[in-house]
Amino acid sequence: MVRKISFVVSMILMVCFSLPLFAGGQTETAAVETIKLGFIGPMTGDYANYGQLISKGAQLAIDEKNATGGIAGKVKIQLIIEDSEGNPEKGLAGIEKLSSSDKIVALIGPVFTGVSFAVGERVQVEGILMVTPSGTHADITNIGDYVFRTVPSDGLQGEVAGNYFYEVLGVRNLGVLYIKNDYSQGLYEGTKASFEARGGKVTIAETGQIGDKDFKTQLTKIKAAAPDAIYIPNYTAEMAQILEQASQLGLNIPFLSSDGFSNPEIYDLAGAYTDGVIYVGPTKVAESDASKAFVDKYTKTYGFAPDSFATNAYDAAYVLFDALEKVYKASGKFDRKAVRDAFAATKDFLGVNGKINFAENGDLVAYQGLYKVEGTTPKYLGAYTVVDGKLVEVK
Amino acid sequence: MGSWAEFFQHLMNGLTLGGIYALIALGYTMVYGILKFINFAHGDILMMGSYIGLFVYNAIRGELLGFWTIIAFFLSMLVGMMFSAILGMAIEKIAYKPLRKATRLAPLLSAIGVSFILSNLAAWMWGTKSKKLEYPFDNSPIHLGDIAVTPHQIMILVVVVVMMVALKLFIDRSRLGKAMRATSLDQDTAKLMGIKVDRIIAITFAIGSALAATAGFLIALEIKVYPSMGTMTGLKAFVAAVVGGIGNISGAMVGGILLGLIETFGVALLGIPYALRDTIAFIILIIILLVKPEGLLGKAEKEKV
Amino acid sequence: MLNFILLIFIYSGIYALMAMGQNVITGYVGLLSLCQAGFFAIGSYATAILSVSYGWNFWLTVPIAGLLAALAGIIIGLPTLRLKGDYLAIATLGFGEIIRNIINNWDSLTGGPMGIKRIPMASIFGYTINPFDKWAFLGMVWIFVLLGYLFFKRLARSRIGRALEAIREDEIAASSMGINTTKYKVWAFALGAFAAGVAGSLQAVFTLSVTPGPFTFMVSIMVLCMVVLGGMGNFIAVILGAFLIQFISYFPQLVGLSNVIPPQFKQILFGLILVVMMIWRPQGILGRAPRMSISGIRRKKRTTSNGGESGDTIQGGSR
Repeated sequence: MVRKISFVVSMILMVCFSLPLFAGGQTETAAVETIKLGFIGPMTGDYANYGQLISKGAQLAIDEKNATGGIAGKVKIQLIIEDSEGNPEKGLAGIEKLSSSDKIVALIGPVFTGVSFAVGERVQVEGILMVTPSGTHADITNIGDYVFRTVPSDGLQGEVAGNYFYEVLGVRNLGVLYIKNDYSQGLYEGTKASFEARGGKVTIAETGQIGDKDFKTQLTKIKAAAPDAIYIPNYTAEMAQILEQASQLGLNIPFLSSDGFSNPEIYDLAGAYTDGVIYVGPTKVAESDASKAFVDKYTKTYGFAPDSFATNAYDAAYVLFDALEKVYKASGKFDRKAVRDAFAATKDFLGVNGKINFAENGDLVAYQGLYKVEGTTPKYLGAYTVVDGKLVEVK
Repeated sequence: MGSWAEFFQHLMNGLTLGGIYALIALGYTMVYGILKFINFAHGDILMMGSYIGLFVYNAIRGELLGFWTIIAFFLSMLVGMMFSAILGMAIEKIAYKPLRKATRLAPLLSAIGVSFILSNLAAWMWGTKSKKLEYPFDNSPIHLGDIAVTPHQIMILVVVVVMMVALKLFIDRSRLGKAMRATSLDQDTAKLMGIKVDRIIAITFAIGSALAATAGFLIALEIKVYPSMGTMTGLKAFVAAVVGGIGNISGAMVGGILLGLIETFGVALLGIPYALRDTIAFIILIIILLVKPEGLLGKAEKEKV
Repeated sequence: MLNFILLIFIYSGIYALMAMGQNVITGYVGLLSLCQAGFFAIGSYATAILSVSYGWNFWLTVPIAGLLAALAGIIIGLPTLRLKGDYLAIATLGFGEIIRNIINNWDSLTGGPMGIKRIPMASIFGYTINPFDKWAFLGMVWIFVLLGYLFFKRLARSRIGRALEAIREDEIAASSMGINTTKYKVWAFALGAFAAGVAGSLQAVFTLSVTPGPFTFMVSIMVLCMVVLGGMGNFIAVILGAFLIQFISYFPQLVGLSNVIPPQFKQILFGLILVVMMIWRPQGILGRAPRMSISGIRRKKRTTSNGGESGDTIQGGSR
């Protein structure tokens, strides 16, 4: 028995420790004319859809850049995608692998807030630049100076949403149906705070669980409470269910939503019920074709349309290329610290979502766009931000 | 709880939800009745059947109108059921049959393995995005006073009732059903009586899987088709099977409907936050098990020396 | 690369603790419990809350995490232990989900879906056990595993251990010998939960943030897989099982395949290995067939009357 065990254990140890020998050799030879960027997101499991969608945004940018020769026209970029399953434990394994085996220069991701916190602490220690395209929690960027994002924090989105609902839409009694996950609850809390600060009241706030498909019970209760409007800051799959079931229950109250609504998948799933929905989303560069060109190219390449988070990942990649190029031209190599500094110094970079600048703490300096859906086409209403508690339209 | 109208609205919602649980629970309970193990891959068989049904429906629907789309819908459902039935039998043969003489935990783990394989295979082949199954009819609600009932809910109830009655008759009246009951009672004696036990087990898997595909296809109209669609619904249905008394066909039906009603009314009547719905369902499950450990309609087994 | 291997060993250690706990419940007493995820969550949150909100030292939170989990184990165990086999499995699975649900909804204490961030690192004599300094953390985790192993090993040879085995082999005979079966079962539950609670505590100082998301019943299932794959009733085997499951899960990343193959293949491979392992060696890698029969879980000739052919002829050497 003991011999059997020690045999098995020693076999395993041998396999483990011999792996770095040949795997390590590979990375050394390959590292001459390529650099590696990492991506962490849920590629399998219940949230796989988001990981797939967003990783493709980064991938598209990298393919485009490589087609033009890569960084400074000669260094090719490789994207290494690691699966987090939406779980910090797996996310940490991913960053460990990316940093110790792949020696990545920078990380795009993670997709979700929970994983972003765990991975953020890790990259801060390791000194790897991290740019999350979708981690909206207000505190993520406070982890340290290596953590950035290309998505507005839910603090800003909540502020704009609450003020806009109250001031422009004239909503006084707001009903909310949100999911008990970090994204939805973060937006609900932010919006509620700013909405009630203006004098409005959230008269009914119902919750659902991750993975729920049946919202009739909550909607029946909301219908009975008869608010002026219903705010549904959720992901696509849930919002499609909510809109359809609300229509079945004869609920004729305007629906308001968040950047989760920017995923065009909603029109496939619930196209008959989207008319009239108003949502807060990314800003659009007026009279710019960048956004349309990106959406067309993405859709053509992958067979489905991007959402705003995929767009953020695409922008993140391009801002990163810009930083990498500067560093490479200055020094001929890719020092992680230098890349971070160049990235932080980004000024007015014109991305698909408009001009990109970063605040001192790594947050995106951003405004929020407002959209109203007509049929199945979102119409842009303008960009807004909140200054000193006042809603300001940005021209 | 507001009014009678609201009550009936919740009742209707609860019944349809419960009907779906019941259909899925039947598959669990039949397999359990004969093999005494939890077929963890049941929810994934449901998902596979729904995908196949969806593909067939999208292929044949074309320009069909009115009544014919409904025919096409049920035809697709039938194909999905057949696919699931064959899949169920194949899984049984490959992953469970070699384990019939092993400890009870071995087939459970094997089933978990199968579940991993199926759900990820589906995600790889068909993508992770939800796919929409179009209603074969206009699903705008019919208003009866203040209550809104959708044709979809009516269809679910009708199909569920038809399936249950058919299954009950089949088990109680037919020769095959009798052989199934005999097998679940005592495999060895059944074998001695000339019943081909292996065949009966395969048929049990086929029927259970087909019922799961039916349930999957019906709910897919509302919840769409995606790789993990069967996981949580499957788990709840399993709870329903246990509440009703696992191994007992009528028990699964009662348990399913009861669970659907509890979930709906637990939130509506008691004013519990909706997010705690599952907690309520599980607490009630545990209470029922404590009062009647063999489930509502299960037979108590005396432990003798 | 080395860091990644060390990380696998850290995770293996944390799960090995949970698996040893599961082994007491399932391998020794023969109760099919699916609640380790819940106890794991309680341990994690105990450490997170005590150290973040109340500023406790990590080392003080470890026993509290274990005790709270054990208390939950007793609370869950007392009513449910009357249930048999799969009924117990589903009731405990339900409890696991209830725990996660409560954590997700008790916002004032647990932060709800936002979780708790910035958990202080563990330190000893002024030396910080930084989770990014893999060797130190690895050492800490495996010291816990070793302590757990020694404790359980001793327990197994004691009066309690013999009583637990007696219950597994034949509950009625055991109780007629004067063994208070309920008492011992609850003990087993509490010990199993304690181990999972301590594991949760270690997990919290490793990830440095906790959210309710990961504590699903899949964790319990994984832990059960570790126990069965390794070989039930044998603590070394269970530790090996924990390592193997982790190793298999991270194998594609280890050999640098994770970026080449579709991400789903990793999971499919995992499923295939489970199925093949069970067909090839249902008693686990280091399990010995005759000792595997557990009265609560196997097919029982006496009570279900379905299996004259079943377990007992092949598995029943123990009686």
